[in-house]
Amino acid sequence: MKRFYTCQGLILVMVVLALACKRPKGRTTIGISFETLQTEYWVASSDALKAACEENGLDYLEAIANGDANRQFEQVNNFISRGVDGIVIAPKDAHTVIPVIKAANRAEIPIVIYNRLPAPNKGSYTTIVADNYEITKQTVRYLGDLARASGKQYKAMILIGDLGDTNAVLRREGFNDAILEYEDVIDVVAEVPTEWNQEKALAGVTNALQANPDIGLIFSSSDFLFPSVISALKNAGKYHPIGHEGHVLLGGFDGDAMAYQLLRSNYLDADGVQNVYYECDLAIQAILDILNGKEVDSVLVDPGFVIHQENLEEMAPKMWGANLEVP
Amino acid sequence: MVKIANSESTFVVLLCLGYYLVMTIIAPGFFTVNNSINLLFNLLPLLIISIGQTYVLLTAGIDLSVTAIVAVASVVGGFMMSSDTVWFHNEFTTLFLGILGMLVVGVLIGAINGWAVAKFAMPAFMVTLTTMMLFSGFAIWLTQSQNLYNLPESFVEMHYTYFLGIPVPLYIALFVVLLAYFLLNRTIFGEWIYAVGANKKTARISGVSVSKTLIGVYVFSGFCAAVGAILYTARLETGSPVMGQNILLDVIGAVVIGGTSLFGGKGTIQGTFFGALFMTLLDNSLNLLNLSFFIIMMVKGMVILGAAILNTVVERSLKTG
Repeated sequence: MKRFYTCQGLILVMVVLALACKRPKGRTTIGISFETLQTEYWVASSDALKAACEENGLDYLEAIANGDANRQFEQVNNFISRGVDGIVIAPKDAHTVIPVIKAANRAEIPIVIYNRLPAPNKGSYTTIVADNYEITKQTVRYLGDLARASGKQYKAMILIGDLGDTNAVLRREGFNDAILEYEDVIDVVAEVPTEWNQEKALAGVTNALQANPDIGLIFSSSDFLFPSVISALKNAGKYHPIGHEGHVLLGGFDGDAMAYQLLRSNYLDADGVQNVYYECDLAIQAILDILNGKEVDSVLVDPGFVIHQENLEEMAPKMWGANLEVP
Repeated sequence: MVKIANSESTFVVLLCLGYYLVMTIIAPGFFTVNNSINLLFNLLPLLIISIGQTYVLLTAGIDLSVTAIVAVASVVGGFMMSSDTVWFHNEFTTLFLGILGMLVVGVLIGAINGWAVAKFAMPAFMVTLTTMMLFSGFAIWLTQSQNLYNLPESFVEMHYTYFLGIPVPLYIALFVVLLAYFLLNRTIFGEWIYAVGANKKTARISGVSVSKTLIGVYVFSGFCAAVGAILYTARLETGSPVMGQNILLDVIGAVVIGGTSLFGGKGTIQGTFFGALFMTLLDNSLNLLNLSFFIIMMVKGMVILGAAILNTVVERSLKTG
């Protein structure tokens, strides 16, 4: 009887394994890996990537690492096991993506790095990235022109992101280089390190406003930090619309729904916009081109644009945040 | 008691086998060589850290600071080994002292935990929660939230380095598993652990050094967390102050599913092995099924809750006869 059960067990195992090995290969599948979906930008990117896959008749798998680089590495390895044909990854930072690139290269699967430039490495990959430096520089120049035109002297503050993130570094450089052109009217008195964290941003901006109550220009390296900036400005009694004597010149980067609402309600002066739809189309197209044996540049740049009060009506349809609703 | 422990071990073995077979059918890419290697590399650090946690749970304690130990060991190793900091000029010295430094950090934090629990009879939950906060903060302060890169090639290539056809991390895990098994089942220290977990007063009256045993298990847990940190750091090629931040649920889940009693005195290394394997299978397969991270977390939470309820029911039924 015992032998009977053993034989039955063995047969079951063999049937199961045979079924597993015979699974037919379906359509081209793309693995989409996001470090987080905590901001509107990542959610919009995820949706746009999936839409781009559908438009091109591709299947997709999606994994979210919830801010854990180790988990993201494991998830991409799972994609590779699953036999995906290409990988698009929005990595946690510039360095922890390197072992992921190595894993994809070992498996000979094309990999596109979305929105964050990896640190220099020997791997084979394509990066889709906004021109963070230039978009920030243009945005800050717009604020600088407003400051100069007002004839007043301004003290400025910048909220900087996680400096392990190349985008944060480039946005800070863009800000600093643009400000140099306005040294006669703008003096930077506070750099608030946020590490892309709302609580740290709120504490930092509050402290900076206490130390320098006459700050008149604030640039946030990401729009998702605006709730912290607004809260601190309100607490300091400095949150006023454009045209009010006490208005603080406000600039941001990303182009999210809150930035759009702030532009519409006359609180935000200018915003650097990443063209999410363009970047996502580029990412999927890059994988398709690689799969079809075409040469693809190692870096594909989204030039982005600056949206401000004067071009709001013209540029709003291209701003991804204008197509979302504020929660 | 032994019979129930055995039946629980059998249960988790059957659970792993059954789950593996089902996932082979329904999870695409699950039964492949690539995925088997993934499973192995995902399992090893979790298994090592869970083995340390098993020792602590066997004494009716808990070590919540393992995540902080992983983080501190990772950044200390990063500082000592990164070519950006240049502490040492010879690669072998860098590697040797870097790894030694990571292990020393783990043992030291474990010793602090054990000393506080043993000498002041403080609740393990309170002590290790506090040290978790303290050392997590320390890791972030030490690095100013920055990661440490450019680790030695021989270190970061560890997972792809084979000796006699077996990857190096597997040797490391085998060493820890065999050491843990030997200490628990073949030495007086192992007997003391079970005795302290079953009843501290009785153990003390019987001549067991409760303090030494408690300090010993927390030191071993710290050591295991540091070994886990070595594998995580090598795999990500990065010393990170947030390394291992999210593994606590998996570690405790692996030990509890493996049949170790939350009330102490009962549990085996074999059980923890299969518990860790089940947690790894769960994570991997649900991911292959394209379920979202949040659903995976919910499923894992439910499985661990189920195991904890089972654990408590068994314990109560034992007490009531």
